[in-house]
Amino acid sequence: MIRFEKVTKAYPGHPHPALDNISVDVEKGEFVFLVGSSGSGKSTFLRLVLREYRPTSGRVYVAGKEINRLASWKVPRLRRDIGTVFQDFRLLPNKTVTENVAFALQVIGKSRKEIKDLVPETLEMVGLSGKGDRMPDELSGGEQQRVAVARAFVNRPMILIADEPTGNLDPTTSVGIMKLLDRINRTGTTVVMATHDSGIVDQMRKRVIELEHGHVVRDQAQGVYGHQT
Amino acid sequence: MQLRYVSSELGQGLRRNVSMHLAVVLTLFVSLTLVGVGVLFNQQASKAADHWGNQLQITVYLCRVNDSSAVCPNAVTDAQKTEIAAVVEDNPEVADYHFESSEQALSKARELYGDELFTGENPAITAADMPQTLWITLQDPDEYEGITSAVQGLDGVSKVRDMREQVAPILESINMLQWVALGTAAFLVFAALLLVANTIRLAAFARRKEIGIMRLVGASTLYIALPFLLEALVTALIGVVLAGGALWGFMYFGIDDLSANRLKFVPWIGWDEFWLAAGAVAILGPLLTLLPTLVLTRKYLKV
Repeated sequence: MIRFEKVTKAYPGHPHPALDNISVDVEKGEFVFLVGSSGSGKSTFLRLVLREYRPTSGRVYVAGKEINRLASWKVPRLRRDIGTVFQDFRLLPNKTVTENVAFALQVIGKSRKEIKDLVPETLEMVGLSGKGDRMPDELSGGEQQRVAVARAFVNRPMILIADEPTGNLDPTTSVGIMKLLDRINRTGTTVVMATHDSGIVDQMRKRVIELEHGHVVRDQAQGVYGHQT
Repeated sequence: MQLRYVSSELGQGLRRNVSMHLAVVLTLFVSLTLVGVGVLFNQQASKAADHWGNQLQITVYLCRVNDSSAVCPNAVTDAQKTEIAAVVEDNPEVADYHFESSEQALSKARELYGDELFTGENPAITAADMPQTLWITLQDPDEYEGITSAVQGLDGVSKVRDMREQVAPILESINMLQWVALGTAAFLVFAALLLVANTIRLAAFARRKEIGIMRLVGASTLYIALPFLLEALVTALIGVVLAGGALWGFMYFGIDDLSANRLKFVPWIGWDEFWLAAGAVAILGPLLTLLPTLVLTRKYLKV
């Protein structure tokens, strides 16, 4: 589903590349944690998947497409196959929960009927039925992140990318969000999650890819956050 | 649903940035009006040149029936006209020439003075009263003596009229007004472009969250840019309508009044020229806002 072949990404003005000749393969339906300290290259990895950047060298394949050769006008279509969740939720403050989730479908041209069917169904799935008319500032942090997950998943993408989704949440709420991501993963969606949350990684026992200074230093099935000796 | 979204975004965008949009509309209004006025002056200059000849033209009046000139015992004959044409053609000072018939001269006069003198059972002026003329365009405005003297003595020639000294200052004034209008318009057009650019920057900043989310969920570039383009189009259309109204006022209260009641001897521009100027303004207005919007949305809304 996601394949990096000898991928290097260097930013102009930086002496060391953010990713240095890495090769990674993520299968369809896998759940992968991307761990490592700040500046290790996690965010660059995710941005390359989203085709926000092109690699300096090497090849990136997402959903069967070599995306460094993808024409700019085809990028929006690629992104419809990828849902994205961020640490800071990124909800539109002037829209209700339902409108926030529906927005993701509206802007890609889904019909009113599809939106009417999919939005309540997804809100129910993330545990927010009955809260569709609330504004984001009337919700707790965990609930806001659920809205963000609903928005990312409402179009039923093949891949869900989560960049520190529990970074702003307390441990109990974080567990709830992880259960939700696990549920989404069980529907066949590939989940790639960058995190610093060792408790969660240790608890979930999923594949762990650890980055350090742009290199993959560990790629372990059913791994934990820290190095295992 | 998409249409609804785009129209609601358009309404929000116009409201959110109302002072900037107003600035764009007003600048466009004034600059487009000046462009339109420039076009009208340009038309006025060529109209005046058509009637009086331009800075390179002299007019040769040919003899008519009962000509008051002593050198004209009879009206000019076809043979004499051929002879005159041959002389003109051979002269190195001449770039071009053409004959104007009595009928053409009559219709020009009629256009200028109205129908009253020319219609009815016993019109005051008929084609026979109008002399045939020969319009000579010079190679060089300063070299006209050779051709003037060559034509002057020919049979069938009543007189040579060189009105350039009278016409030149009028044409120069009209041209100057045209360039003042277009020059001022150029500065204002530049200001309008800067304002459009700033408006888009502000709007893109105000909507950065929505735009960020739209990009992430896979909205197309056109879809993201559409509200911006429509905003640009709406401001342009308001500017065009206002400028069109101002030009209409200029024609109706200015030119029409002058041509109908005063300064009747001048061949004034009419509504055909107004529509030409309005057309130019209607094309230029949307271009002025849509082109920078297209360029800048590509920059600010890159996927």
